[in-house]
Amino acid sequence: MRWKPARTTLATLALGVSIASIASAALAEPVTLTLGSWRTEDLAIWQDQVLPAFEAAHPDIKVEFAPVNTNEYNAAIQSQIEGGTGPDLITCRPFDVNNEWIGRGYFATLDGLAGLANFTDTAKAAWTVKGATYCVPVAAVLAGFYYNIDIFNELGLTPPTTAAEFTAVLQKIQDSGKYTPLAEGSAESWQLAYNGLYSIGPAYWKGEEGRLGLIDGTKKLTDPDFVAAFAAFQAWKPFLPSGQEALSYSDMTQLFTLGRAAILPDGSWNINQVTSTGLNVGVFGPPAVEANGQRYLQEMPDMAIGINAASTKQDAAKVFLDWVAGSEFQQLYVNSAPGFFAMSNQAVTYDNPLAQHFADLKTGALLTPRLALDRLSAGTPPLDDEIWRQLQVMMTSDTTPETVTGELQTGLASWYGPQQAK
Amino acid sequence: MTRPATARWSLFLFVLPALAVYLLFAVVPLFSSIVMSFFDTNGEAGNLFVGFANYVYLFTQPVVSARFWNALANSAKYFAVHVIVEVPIGLLLAALLTSGVLRRSEGVYRTLLFIPATLSVVIVGFIWRLIINPLWGLVGFPLLGNPSTALTTISLMSVWQYVGIPMVFLYSALLAVPNDLVEASRLDGASPWRIFWDIKFPLIVPQFGLIVILTFIWTFNGFDLVFALNGSAPGPNYSTDILGTFFYRSFFGSSGQVADLDIGATVATVIFTIMLAVTGGYFALVQRRLRAHMV
Repeated sequence: MRWKPARTTLATLALGVSIASIASAALAEPVTLTLGSWRTEDLAIWQDQVLPAFEAAHPDIKVEFAPVNTNEYNAAIQSQIEGGTGPDLITCRPFDVNNEWIGRGYFATLDGLAGLANFTDTAKAAWTVKGATYCVPVAAVLAGFYYNIDIFNELGLTPPTTAAEFTAVLQKIQDSGKYTPLAEGSAESWQLAYNGLYSIGPAYWKGEEGRLGLIDGTKKLTDPDFVAAFAAFQAWKPFLPSGQEALSYSDMTQLFTLGRAAILPDGSWNINQVTSTGLNVGVFGPPAVEANGQRYLQEMPDMAIGINAASTKQDAAKVFLDWVAGSEFQQLYVNSAPGFFAMSNQAVTYDNPLAQHFADLKTGALLTPRLALDRLSAGTPPLDDEIWRQLQVMMTSDTTPETVTGELQTGLASWYGPQQAK
Repeated sequence: MTRPATARWSLFLFVLPALAVYLLFAVVPLFSSIVMSFFDTNGEAGNLFVGFANYVYLFTQPVVSARFWNALANSAKYFAVHVIVEVPIGLLLAALLTSGVLRRSEGVYRTLLFIPATLSVVIVGFIWRLIINPLWGLVGFPLLGNPSTALTTISLMSVWQYVGIPMVFLYSALLAVPNDLVEASRLDGASPWRIFWDIKFPLIVPQFGLIVILTFIWTFNGFDLVFALNGSAPGPNYSTDILGTFFYRSFFGSSGQVADLDIGATVATVIFTIMLAVTGGYFALVQRRLRAHMV
């Protein structure tokens, strides 16, 4: 057959060129990105589920998941980046630590990354400085109360919705003499704050109203609302196991999973562990102060991913982040790692029933992140560290909530501008 | 025979590899951290010489200086427990091992007592945390949860682990005591107690002094056991915070604290100075006089 020769040649040429370019792209060594993270426990999830899904869609990019221990992560990233050996993609801590990193120029800007439109400003707040967002939000964690459904049924209890009901439930479990009401120990101070005070406290300081009030200086930690929150937490003391002063986080989890304690104040990230012994576990949110009062829930931005400014593979990194911002990743990640919750405004369903319960607690509740991590911990002494320490003192000695909040306020006002002006 | 000049050169050559490693990995980092403590490396202007500003900050910022003095006092307490408990027990064990009462089982005991020193601190910390756990362990009292007992408890764990070190050290010193002296005193009718305190101990006093100062260096450099048990902000209420963890928190940061390399280097330099002064003072004033008792 004779077609128009000129066009055929041209078409063949064009075809040849495009085949050549496809072939060269396929033959070329794929770009390998390293992803630094503190989630050592997620290694299998990333390697077997998340990253293969990405690489199937983008055969020219390989991603290597390179986690280090949580406690060493900040130090490791800082020394790697200062030494020029940082990973291409950096998992971002929320708020102050990350703001400091942004200030030091660790991150490349994400200008023009389409996927960022999937997140509200509140969702991006933990990684945004002066209106520019440097990390794509991956997941948030929630805090609440796991309870042993069998124990509740045996004692005829229902999950409490108000502070008064909560105390009544604890008292009834105590009176039964068979179980410890609350699996809670003071050896690890972080969880007194994150799973205790920051969970029940927002109902007293009215969530964002109180938190932002501290940030702009219109509220003080010595205000009655805050003192009441600390007092409500201190009121747990009679319901804790004996020797709680030296019980660690893993002791608490074990006490609950062995069925010896009825309620475990904990974060959503522990879902797999609390159900690991086949226990019949339910979850309820922090109680409201009064009947029919507003419910609050701690939703803590936990993880985001940004690009190392010194990386030589910016384009590939942006392709990856665009994918991370999409619903395929969000759905895949939160269902591979139960206990983490997607932050984008796309609908996500949870296969794990307990995770779905946790997600349902968000309905009708006002969300707020942990109290002291945004700006209030960017000086010396950092408010968050001080709260950990003071809560430990309060729960292991006779120190009163008034003394504790007074010292915290003094510490904060010693360096934080907006609190000094007043 | 090699000529003296050649011998000197080969001496230098043989020392060179070790010297190079020592310079590269000990002396250079030491000096660069001292230099770093006089700079501000986080500023927008890049590296800026700030003189003693970092030291002024460390000793005058109310919170930071309070934590520093607290850590120093805790390190002193950590050392005191080791000197009061570990070294005497090590001496007692060494004396028993060399006394001959154990006969053939001496080697077995020596090995058994030394084994904990070879374990990882993470394992030691984990085992002891379980043993003294108020829920599942042997002790109902929350030893690690009480500010007045926590540091002593951790110190005693460390004593348990490392008691083999002074034991072996003093054991080898006791073995070197000339047997004829011991024999002579025994023939003169001296009791074993008398032989130990009047013959053997005076002869190993220099080694005893050395193990005390080594214990000082090890405990003031201590970090790992506290970190393994209580992390980088060791509670309750910083009652188990020692210089090592204080330095770590400054230099590497902790969950709520951003790392500050300059302040970290300053802390490291202060710790180094303290240890240099104490060790140097000890050698100048005490160790030299102890030699008088040598045979």
